[in-house]
This record gives sequence, structure tokens and C-alpha cells, in this order.
Amino acid sequence: MSPVKKILRLWQAHYWYLAFGALLALAALAAGIVLMQNAGRYTATAVLGGVLLVPLALQMAGVARVVLRYLERLVTHDAMFRALGGVRVWFFTGLAHSAAGGLGMRRAGDALARLVNDVEALDGLYLRIIVPGLSVLMLLPILLVMLYHESAWALLVLPLFLGVAVVLPWRAAMLAGDNATRASLAMAGLRNAALDALSGLREVKIFAAEGRMLAMVQARESAVLGAQRELAQRVSRLNVTGFLLAQTGILLALLIGFISGPLAAVVAVFVLTAAFEAVSAMPRAGVLLGQSQAAAARVVEAAEAGPAVADPARALPMPASHAVSFEHVSFRYAEGLPFVFENLSLQLPAGSRTAILGPSGAGKSTIAALLLKLAAPQSGKIKLGAVDVAALPAEAVRSKIAYLSQSTHLFADSIRNNLLLGDPLADEGQLWAALEAAQLADTVQALPEGLDSWLGEGGNTLSGGQGRRLALARTLLSAAPILLLDEPCAGLDAATEMAFFETLNQAAKGRTVVLIAHRLTGVEKLDRIWRLAGGSLVPAAN
Amino acid sequence: MSAKTKAWVAAEKKIGRKAALVPVAFGLGQIMAGVGQVFFAANLLAAVLLPGTAVSHVALDVAGFVVCVLLRAACLHRAEVMGFEMGAAARRRLRSDMFQKLLAAGPNGLRGRHSAELASVAVDRVEAMDGFHSRWIPATDLAVLGPALIGLVALFTDWRSGLILLVAGLLVPVAMAMAGIGAGRAASQQFVAMTRLQVRFLDRIRGISTLVLAGRTADEAAALGKAADELRVRTMRVLRVAFLSSTALDLAAAASLVLIVIRFAGHLGAAPGLVPVALFLLLLVPEFFAPLRSFASVYQDRMAAEAVAEDLVNLPPMPDLIGAVEIRSVAAHGVTLSFEDVSFGWEERAVLEHLSFRVPAGETLLLTGASGAGKSTIIDLILGFIEPTEGKVTFNGIELATVIPAARERMIGWIGQKPVIFGGTIGENIRFARPEASDDEVATAVKLARLSEVIAALPLGLDTPIGEAGFGLSGGQAQRIAIARAFLKDAPLLLLDEPTAHLDPAVEHDVLESLKRLAMGRTVVLASHSVLALEFARDTGARRLDLDAIRHAKLRGVA
Repeated sequence: MSPVKKILRLWQAHYWYLAFGALLALAALAAGIVLMQNAGRYTATAVLGGVLLVPLALQMAGVARVVLRYLERLVTHDAMFRALGGVRVWFFTGLAHSAAGGLGMRRAGDALARLVNDVEALDGLYLRIIVPGLSVLMLLPILLVMLYHESAWALLVLPLFLGVAVVLPWRAAMLAGDNATRASLAMAGLRNAALDALSGLREVKIFAAEGRMLAMVQARESAVLGAQRELAQRVSRLNVTGFLLAQTGILLALLIGFISGPLAAVVAVFVLTAAFEAVSAMPRAGVLLGQSQAAAARVVEAAEAGPAVADPARALPMPASHAVSFEHVSFRYAEGLPFVFENLSLQLPAGSRTAILGPSGAGKSTIAALLLKLAAPQSGKIKLGAVDVAALPAEAVRSKIAYLSQSTHLFADSIRNNLLLGDPLADEGQLWAALEAAQLADTVQALPEGLDSWLGEGGNTLSGGQGRRLALARTLLSAAPILLLDEPCAGLDAATEMAFFETLNQAAKGRTVVLIAHRLTGVEKLDRIWRLAGGSLVPAAN
Repeated sequence: MSAKTKAWVAAEKKIGRKAALVPVAFGLGQIMAGVGQVFFAANLLAAVLLPGTAVSHVALDVAGFVVCVLLRAACLHRAEVMGFEMGAAARRRLRSDMFQKLLAAGPNGLRGRHSAELASVAVDRVEAMDGFHSRWIPATDLAVLGPALIGLVALFTDWRSGLILLVAGLLVPVAMAMAGIGAGRAASQQFVAMTRLQVRFLDRIRGISTLVLAGRTADEAAALGKAADELRVRTMRVLRVAFLSSTALDLAAAASLVLIVIRFAGHLGAAPGLVPVALFLLLLVPEFFAPLRSFASVYQDRMAAEAVAEDLVNLPPMPDLIGAVEIRSVAAHGVTLSFEDVSFGWEERAVLEHLSFRVPAGETLLLTGASGAGKSTIIDLILGFIEPTEGKVTFNGIELATVIPAARERMIGWIGQKPVIFGGTIGENIRFARPEASDDEVATAVKLARLSEVIAALPLGLDTPIGEAGFGLSGGQAQRIAIARAFLKDAPLLLLDEPTAHLDPAVEHDVLESLKRLAMGRTVVLASHSVLALEFARDTGARRLDLDAIRHAKLRGVA
């Protein structure tokens, strides 16, 4: 099934509503054409000295046109909003199911943002492609009857109409589809160059590479503009072709008038003027369709990727003990890649405090991923209590582990809602207690709206240290007996980091603590410290 | 919208309108050709209706019609192509401006902004300015000029019909205003609503792993659905009123058509001369309203521009350039570095207070102290990324602030904790230090940085792609690339900012060996608190500056 079709399937619940919208669009279109038809007929009759009736039909068509257009706008927009809500919920659920392993652990914000762009590109599918497309197709038989009624000769114009309404949009969709790959490659190139220039700003300044970087960005930009220009010019040519076809049709209808009789000619010209105007935007819709196809393909692929670790067919009951042990675990990310570690064993007794240190890239975070069932070892076992986690559902395992890392997200929402993620049933007192434990209560109290203060995007109304403390408060609200902390303070200054760990020493009492870091600040209270290097754990003296 | 944003949009509009003169002229040409086309079509229709028109007249009208259509097609095409070029030129200008600013501001100018976020502003937000320049600006001008022109033609042809059109045309904005709605309120409301949902959706998607690990996926999906639905209900309430403005346009179009038909209906039988005039005016109605319609359809391009403006006006300000009189250069052989009574602080927090030291040419200074003690600040002061609030930094006695940036950059080599590896091959990454370096020079740098074995093991040698899309490098290998860059650059002053902080002890030792070789004959400032680095300093006979000790000494002094 093509990706676009898959997206359309999602709208099943709203099919009638969507169809109603398209039908109204058709009716509004038809009313517009009838209005022109009557205007033509009325004028021609007047010229030919016929009997003049009260132009009731004319006025009726005029009113119908206006009212139907209004209803069409209302219904199609309402339908579009329903449809796009559905797409978002589906995409979110699908990604949540599949992304935890693939994207979740890494900082993949930009890849995700690009996917969100793709989801947004699908919003135009109904309003700007399907509605005009369907109503034009349905218009065709009406036009056929109308023109035939006036003069069989006028039907000669129909192939031209078909050309504008069907052939050109189809061509445009093909062109846009071909162009989409080139355009998105060029865009990715520009994005990478921009990111290189800005994230490497220190190197750029030191090696006096400002000019070179700017030239690079401009060259990549030219590639983007080149791809866009090619499409714009081709589409413009299609538009002009459409215009010429339409005008040829009108001229043809005029000339036919000399054969078929005056009244018919006038009516046909008026009707065709309105009909061609209605389809003049069709090539543009074709372009959108061509571009949506690529977006739909990426969205469907991401949403349907499936989880990295499948849940067991028959799950064992959850053990009562929360002791964790790694037994002879070997893991690598893919066949052919080197093992991250082989035969790794580690005991994390309930209530113990353990640090795992090591340089970046040593595989510290992989231990967290394995424990959270975001990845599964090739050999060996990870046990919770006495049960292999492979035999437990991922959600149940994760409910025992509160995970906090540098990429733990603060949502653009109130402080209260951010905290409630840790425990949706927590009451006011529990929220304040958690804030107290994370030593953030005073800060929040000082805010004019307290718990209901709004956090900016990524929590950017708080300082870095405060943000980590809020994430800690959320983690503490969860009833999970195991706290898994993966470089929770990376990117913060040393003083802030130390203060955070001092808070943690008090706040985490009674829980198992696993701290993953590349170095310690010296204030952490720990039972054991391991160093992970070269794929094995060795006790470290700190 | 803030005053700053408004001013920015107004300035963009001014630039855009200047550039739009020619495309608008083509747009007007298109409209005029349209009027001509309608004129000939009306003549032909009249000829059909009134038998007895000379064949030569008919042929002339056909020819006129064809010429007008071709002219119109040409104008349409030119206007579209030029519209694209306007949008492209605007994007190019905005991106260049933005990058020049950011590159000039340097790493400390971006304090608090994430580079990925800025990159996305430079790419995606600037991209969103396309419609404003390529469509909205020409459409705005044409929405006034087009109907005015056609209205005048109608007025001269038949003043009654002309009046009907002009009144209808003027009533459109009046009706919109009377409904309490600006020209594109509908589009604007829809845009704002969509933006809110998009921001929420993007936020939830970015934080999806947090939601998954907290076990809150189902709740959040339901909440997302509910948010979308609430938004729909709220937006539709506004749109119900707002769409009346589009309806006003439809009503005006339909009413003027009907009124013109009625105006002529009684007279045509008696005065056949009026027939072509009546037909001309009737066919002119859709042409009259077409520019207004296309204006309404691009209104959201303006909304997009306002959203972009919010992001662009908040970019870091451009640093002041050095006055031309003060610019100096420094002899680039052997640099003696000194800090004379230097103080520096971020906002309220003082980092360095009255610090003085001197590193003679060819010697090494070891900077130690806890994180936050000011090691990186000293390095950034030497790099010129920040300027002292008091005192001065000098190279061979010349104040750094008065040296041409290019001359300063030539003198300094730098290696940080984690080098940035750019997209490209490993060779390009090394050559980044000096693009004009010969192959031999690159080969020497590779050898001195002990990268030869690493490169020999790569499938394509120096031409192997590395970085995000390419071959992954270990921390030690990446650091060796930084060392090779420094060898290639061959600067007399070398700054080492915790060069081994992210390395394994075994690798650290190895990298320090290479650094020792790099340090030979250069003035070196090494900031580090690793034990091995202390050994390194001992081997090179470095002097040591302990920032913690200085601070404590100060504290004792106070007590």
C-alpha cells in the first residue's frame, strides 16, 4: 500500500465528514458555474430579443454560490482539523512504540524535528489536494451534461478541460516527486553545513575559516535554490500550458458559436470561463501531491518501525526483589560491529549505590539501555530479582526504574504537569515534597504562579541547574525503587553539578542508585565505583 | 508582536517592494493583457449574437485574442519566475547576514543558545520567508493596482458598471472591517492555532523517550488528541466569523455580476451597439476580483514572516569592529604572552580579578584549578573571544585588542577537550587548519600527530569520509586530528584547554607524548587538572599558575 493511502486510511472515522466537505466544494463550484451560465443565457436572450423573465435563477445561483462557498470553507476546515489530529496521535503512538530503542537514547532532536515537518506537510493533503481534486473530477460529468445540453459541438472542448484538470496535475506530481529527492538531499546538505559552521564555531574562528564556512553554506544553499528553481520553472511552464489550453478552449467555443447558434455559444463561453478558472489551481495541487508522497513515506516508515526489543509472548510475573544483576552479558549494536562489551557481569543489590565511570564511547549508556530493555544482549542475562528481564514486559521493567539523563526532557507546559509525569496521581503535598527534596521548592514558591508557572520550550525559563533539579523532582515522584542516572549534569558547570549531587545524596535515600558518569565530583555518596574501559568493568579507587 | 519585530517586518517589506517593481510590472502587464483578451472575446461573442459582422472583423478579433493570450501567458510566466528569484534572493541575503553575524560573534557571542537551534533558524526559519517575498509582496501591490486599473477601464467604458465594480471592490475591505476582521483574520487565526498545535506536537515528539521511559505514552497520546480537538472547536468558533470576510468577497463578486446583467438587460434589444460593451463588462468581473482573491490566498505568508521575525530579531548582536587607526600586526616569530592586571566577569559573577602573569617566548605555563576557577576564561581571553573588563592582554608587548583579528588568528594554535569533526573526509578535516597546505605538509602533520597507522587502516586513507555520516572516530583519534591540525597550522602560541579530559588513561598518555612534540619551540598555555598533564608540565619545565591557590590567597587576605 502506498504511504499516502496509508495516511488516508487513518481518516476512516471521518470519511463521511470529509466526503461531505468535498461534496459541498463541488456544490459551490457547480453553483458558480450555474451562475455564469445564467448570466450568459440572460444576456444572450436579452440581445436576441427573447422574453425576459425575472432573473430569479440568476439571483438564486448567486446566493447559492455565496452560501455554499461559506459552508464549504467551514466544513472542509473542520474536517481538516479532525484529520490532522488523527495523524498526530497515530504518529506519536507509532513512534513511541518504535523509537525508544532507535532514537530515544541519542540526542535525535533534529531528526525528530524533520519528521514533524513531514507530518505537517501532510496537513495540506485533504484541503489542498483531495478537496479540489475530487470536486473537479465530480464536476466533469456535470460539465458534460451542461455543454451537451447547449450544443454537442461544445463537447469538443472537453479534452482541453481534461488536459488542465487531470493531465497537467499528474505531470506536476511526477515532476515534484522526481525533484523531491534532489531537493531534500540538497536541504540536508545545507543543514549539515549550517550545523558544522555553528557547532564548530571555535575551530572556525581559530583557523580563520569564517570565509570558507560562509562560502560552504552559500554553495550548499545554491544547490537548494537550484533544485527549487528547476521545479518552479517546470511548474510555471505547466501553469502556462494550462492557461493556454483553457484559452484555446474558450476560443474554440466562440468559433463553434458561428456554427451551432448564438445562445449556446454565449452560455458555453461563460460556463467554460468559470470551469477553467476552477481548475487553474490543479497543477499546484499536483505539485503538493508529489511532494507529500515523499513526506508520507518517511512518516509511515518512522511510525511503523516497530520496537527494537519485542515483548515476550508469555510474560512471567514481576519479581518482588529489586536487585539487578548482569550475568556474562555480551552486546554489540549490529552484526559486524565490534562488541561494546563481552562477558560483562555486575551486581546491583537493592538499596546499593553504584557508580559506573568511563570515557565517552566506552559503553556506559549501553548498560542503561540494556537495563531499560531498549536493547537486548546477544548473550548473557540481565536479571531483576531472579527473573530474566527478557521474560518481562518492557513497560513493567521500566516502571521499576526511574531514569534521569541530560536529555531528560522538560515539556513546554506548567511545572505541575511536568512533575505529574512522574506520578499522575500525586497530590499537591507530594509535589511540594518532591520539589523540597530536589531543593527547588523555594525557587518555585518565588514564582508568581507557583506550580502553575509555564515552562518555556525545553524548560528554558529555568536555569540549567534548576532544570535538572526539576527533572530530579519528577524522578523522585515516581515510586520506582531504582534510580538510574546517566550523566544527569552533563553540560552544567562544576559548582552546579556538585550542588546537585549533594541534593541527590539526601533525596535518593532508600533506593538503589546507579550513577553513570565520565568522572565524579567528589561529593557523591557511593558504595562501589566501577570503571568501564575496553569492554570490561574494573573496580576503581576514587 | 513586539515593536522590534514590527520594525523588522516593515524593513523587509521595504526591501521586498523595491525588488518587486519589475515582477509587479509583469503582473500588471498580465492584468492588462487580460483586459485586452476579454475585450476581443466580447467582440467575438457579439459577432456570434448579432449576425452580419464582417468576416474581416472576426478575423481581426481572433488575432487580437490570440495575441493578448500569448502576451498574458508570457507575463504570467515571467512574473512567476521572477517571484521565485525574489524569494531566492531574499533567502540568500537573510542567510548571509545571519551567518556573518554569528561567525563574527564567535562562540561566546552565542552564550546560552544551542548551535543546533541556531542552525535550524538559519535554515528552516529563513526558508519560511520565501512566501513573503515571492508571493505576498507582489500580491499586495497587485491587489490595489489591479482592481483600480480594471475599475478605471470599466468606468470609462460604462460609468454605471464601473461604479458597480468600484463600489463592490471598495466594499470588500469595508465589509471585512465591519465584521471586525482584518483582511486575513481567517488565515491568521488558523495560522496561530496551527502553530500552537505544532509547537506542542514537536515538544512531545522531542521528549518522546522521556514519555516512553516514564510509561506515559497512552496518556499523552490521548491528551494530544484532546488538545487537537479542543483546538479545532476553538478555532472553528473564530473561523465561523472570520470566513465572513471571504464571503464578503464572494458576495461582492456575485452581486456585481448580477447587477451588471440587470443594468444592461432592458437596453440590449433596443441598442445592439451596447452588446459588445455589456459582454465585455460581464467578462471583466472575474478579472476584477482575481487579484483580490490571490491576495487573500497568500495572507498566511505574511503570518509566517511575523513568526520568523520573532526568531531573527533575537539573534546575538554584532560585535564592534576595531577602529582602523588602532589596527596593528605583530611579528609572528616567538610570542611572549602577558596578562597585565586583567579582570573579567560574566554579569555579576567575577571570574578573574586583577590577574597578572607573563609567559616568555618558547616556555610553557600550566594552569590548574577546579572547574569554574577561570582556566577556560583565560584561554578565551587570549583567543580574543571575550575582552577583559579591566587590564590588558599583550603579545610581545602589544595590546591584543588592537591586533588585526587575522594576525591574531595566525599566531594561535588551540586544542580543546573535544575537537569538532566537520562533515567531509579525514584529509579535509586536517587541511581545515590550512587549506592551501601541500600534500607533503599534510603528510608530515599526519606523521607528527601519529595518525599514520590510523589512516593506513581506513578503507580510503585520507579520503575516507568521517563525521556524522562517515566513519566513526574514537576520542583519541579525534584528538589526534586536532593535533595534526595544530602541526599544520604551525602557530607560535599554543593553547591547550584540557586536551585529555575525555580520554582513557592509556590513550591520554599517548596523546600527551604527541602534544609534547607539538609544544617544542612554542609558547604554550596548558589548562588541565589531570595527573598526567602535571607530568607533562614537569617534563617541559613549565611554570605553574594555580588559580585555586590565588583565590584562596585572596580569601585569606580578606579574612
